[in-house]
Amino acid sequence: MAQKLAVFASLNQVALVKRALHREGVQVEMLRTPRCLSHTGCSFALRCSTEAIALLEEICSKWKIEVGGIFADTQDSSPKLDNVLLDE
Amino acid sequence: MIYLDNAATSWPKPPGVAQATSKALTSGLGNPGRTTHHLAMDAALMVQECRENLAQLFAIANPLRICFTSNATEALNLAIKGVLSPGDHAICSSMEHNSVWRPLVALQERGIELTIVEASTSGVVDLSRIEQSIKGNTKLIAVLHASNVNGAILPAAEIGRLARERGIAFLVDAAQTAGSIPIDVKAMNIDLLAFPGHKGLLGPQGTGGLYVSEEVSLRPLKEGGTGSDSMSASQPSYYPDKLESGTLNVPGIAGLNHSVRFLLQKGVAQVVRRETKLTQRLLTGLMEIDGVTVYGPSAELPRAAVVSFNLRNLDPVFVANELERRADIACRPGWHCAALAHQTQGTQDTGTVRLSPGPFTKMTEIEIALGVIAELAAEHQA
Repeated sequence: MAQKLAVFASLNQVALVKRALHREGVQVEMLRTPRCLSHTGCSFALRCSTEAIALLEEICSKWKIEVGGIFADTQDSSPKLDNVLLDE
Repeated sequence: MIYLDNAATSWPKPPGVAQATSKALTSGLGNPGRTTHHLAMDAALMVQECRENLAQLFAIANPLRICFTSNATEALNLAIKGVLSPGDHAICSSMEHNSVWRPLVALQERGIELTIVEASTSGVVDLSRIEQSIKGNTKLIAVLHASNVNGAILPAAEIGRLARERGIAFLVDAAQTAGSIPIDVKAMNIDLLAFPGHKGLLGPQGTGGLYVSEEVSLRPLKEGGTGSDSMSASQPSYYPDKLESGTLNVPGIAGLNHSVRFLLQKGVAQVVRRETKLTQRLLTGLMEIDGVTVYGPSAELPRAAVVSFNLRNLDPVFVANELERRADIACRPGWHCAALAHQTQGTQDTGTVRLSPGPFTKMTEIEIALGVIAELAAEHQA
């Protein structure tokens, strides 16, 4: 199943969105943003299905949380950074 | 022990609070926002759950506007020093704890104008006097919700309405009411709510927080150590990161989360009913003892579970020591960090003995305390 990475500035925002998605029955994974996407230093991301993105954006809009970007996640185990994600 | 010092810190804590705090230390909760492993992520989720529970308790729309602090004093300093700039005018009451009074006085030296609205001797604050104190440059009205000296409840909702009408930020010091008296930040037009975690919220010491409404922008007291925007020289602009610098008290917040869940399950209304009954009995019992002077609002008026008294001209420290020696009763003698309030009620030269029941206090314990005070009164006839 296609996966996406939604990037956020803060783990506090990620935790809120993850818990809100969980209440809607959507499971997502919290992770540190890979370096190639983390333009302002440390940030955090949620890995979720493509289908969950609309709900994620709705939650972020409700809580006025800015999403730093949503990217395709290849989940490739290769250490090459440019192989990890494709900007949409 | 008969614990009647809940206004200083509540005890005992609800079942499970100690275990939740201990589990954070023994089973491990990482440092949220710093790393990738599951202990840190679990900690972040627990901290967020606590924010959401607090938001539910105080009717706060956005839990991310709750910033954890180490106590209410830190939250009050954060609010007062974060909102006021030189040339601004602030209003507080003469019942304030020195956690409000001292920062405001310190800011006077940096060009802040301050008006202290005089309360009545029983601690009642007249709304019209606050209204009359408002000026063109009034930026902040800061009041406690209930007095830590005599339990008087200030008309926070009415002051909030006035502040909102005039476009003035409204700060409430809920040190004696958070978890003990219902608070609805929206209905009460509260822009800034400072609360301790270890009093009415029944959590561990070293916890507290500040709610900041979207109407208000604060300068942080501290910078750095947010775990976010780490390559930037500037503090993040988003909440709670903007005001939460440095590692949080995660074990404390784990305990607080548990205690707030307990309060949500039981309902603050139940705490109010129980504490009101205990406080009323304490008041009526004390007033029946010859030689006892009770301070604060009259018994029929609503008040927080805080009762201050003096026994003839006896030193409050002596009375407190005797209560402990004779019946293992814990209370607080002295000035309770509130010089203004003591000046207001006329006890600046003596201080008082303060008794503060909590949600786990039993009526039999109140009767024992009254009995010991009556015994002391009989032994020290005028």
